[in-house]
Amino acid sequence: MLLEVSNLTTAYRGLIAISDISIAVGEGEIVTVAGANGAGKSTLLKSIAGMEKPKSGSVSFTGERIDTIPAHLITSRGLAYVPENKRLFPRLSVYDNLRLGSYLHRGKADREAPLELVFKLFPRLQERLSQRAATLSGGEQQMLAISRALMTRPRLLMLDEPSQGIMPKLVDEIFAAVKQIRANGVTVLLVEQRLSESLEISDRAYVLQTGRVVMSGNAADVKTNPEVRKHYLGI
Amino acid sequence: MTTQAFLQVLASGILIGLIYALIAVGLSLIFGLMDVVNFAHGEFLMLAMYAMFGLVLVTAIDPVLLMPIVVGIMFVVGVSAYAGVIRFAMRAKANPGMVQIFATFGLALVIQGLAQYFFTPDYRNIGNSWLGGKTLNLGGVFLPWPQIYGGVISLLAFGGLYLLITRTDFGKALEATREDQGAVALVGIDRNRVFALGWGLGAALVGLSGAVLAVFYYIYPQVGGPFALIAYVTVALGGFGSIFGALVAGLIVGVVEALTALILPPALKSVGVYSLYLAVLFVRPSGLFGRL
Repeated sequence: MLLEVSNLTTAYRGLIAISDISIAVGEGEIVTVAGANGAGKSTLLKSIAGMEKPKSGSVSFTGERIDTIPAHLITSRGLAYVPENKRLFPRLSVYDNLRLGSYLHRGKADREAPLELVFKLFPRLQERLSQRAATLSGGEQQMLAISRALMTRPRLLMLDEPSQGIMPKLVDEIFAAVKQIRANGVTVLLVEQRLSESLEISDRAYVLQTGRVVMSGNAADVKTNPEVRKHYLGI
Repeated sequence: MTTQAFLQVLASGILIGLIYALIAVGLSLIFGLMDVVNFAHGEFLMLAMYAMFGLVLVTAIDPVLLMPIVVGIMFVVGVSAYAGVIRFAMRAKANPGMVQIFATFGLALVIQGLAQYFFTPDYRNIGNSWLGGKTLNLGGVFLPWPQIYGGVISLLAFGGLYLLITRTDFGKALEATREDQGAVALVGIDRNRVFALGWGLGAALVGLSGAVLAVFYYIYPQVGGPFALIAYVTVALGGFGSIFGALVAGLIVGVVEALTALILPPALKSVGVYSLYLAVLFVRPSGLFGRL
């Protein structure tokens, strides 16, 4: 497995946010983590990315422990993370945000190679290269955040609610992009509220409830599960 | 007052203003990067002046040539100050702002005490140098060469800093870290490394001004105090964190100080500058080019 999370528990100020979570993501998969607000989805991604320190358990990426190293080294090992609030550099231009994404790489060819994919996925970014990131619309900012993460040349891309707060037309574009990203050899771990769309493009899914995994399986099975349909799909 | 005298004062004010700007910019850079006011800034200046004095004493090489070495030494001092003190102060669980203030203030006291002990409180100066004591006569306006040299160095340093920030990857990393220090890890940048280099750069810049000042100013353990005070005024006037603001404000402070000295008795020399400072605080608390 590319990513293996084992018995992970993370607490905020003494309150357990996720408890004893074990998930795995294989090379080339798209895996969705679903669940209601406060189920611990974001905490799970933060804990994997090194932005939050787990209380116990372990995270392995490409067979090596990463829960003991600082966040910037996790990025440099090929695990990119797009947080819910995107964390772009708002006063810097779109181009500078992208360029910072490839900070770790040396040599012009190496640094600019991912740009081709980025512009293919999101042509509108190319038109806005000199604009400040803060002046982009919500959807464009999401595109830039995903693109900046792609510039690090990750093996695994973790996206936290990429469809949140953006207009419906762009949501489709983002889901289409996620499929494209996987087609380009990048594994994707997706946290989403829009379960129907994300299960559509996923191979497997985990469902979280109050910090625990309550269900997991093939995306198709999860989608047809009566409990899931009732609670998360509103059918 | 004759036009000649006015021009003389204006030119002197501009030259010293450029040096004030160079002293202030390192302070502004560090503040902009990580919201820490370095209260040991004056001590960094003092250390740089003693470094120059010591190097001239030992090597008998001219200060102009020794300047890069002083800058290099101060870069190391800045990185060490971050790695040895500031880094730990930033980890404070409660009231980190206060902890940082006292940490840099404590650093200032320690450097001050060590300087008193090792260098003694005696006033020293670099006697003979290529530029020392020479003046340029510009149509009746007399300008000392060491100050002209200082002004030119300052402008070059600002030019270099501008290029560093706008044209290099490290400059972009600095900008990104000041935008959102928690987000740079997402692109694989170690913010502690950026902070350490930022302190090195800030100290190197004040070191450059110390290397210049040492040519024409007395050197003693408290020499940094008055200059640091002016640097705080300059940074507040220009806008905390603004590099261009530091340049403009330094020039304003230099010229206002020189003009005040022309009009008021010498004892009231600083009144103009501090009145200006108060006026700015009342009218535009974020400074001329501040983002706050």
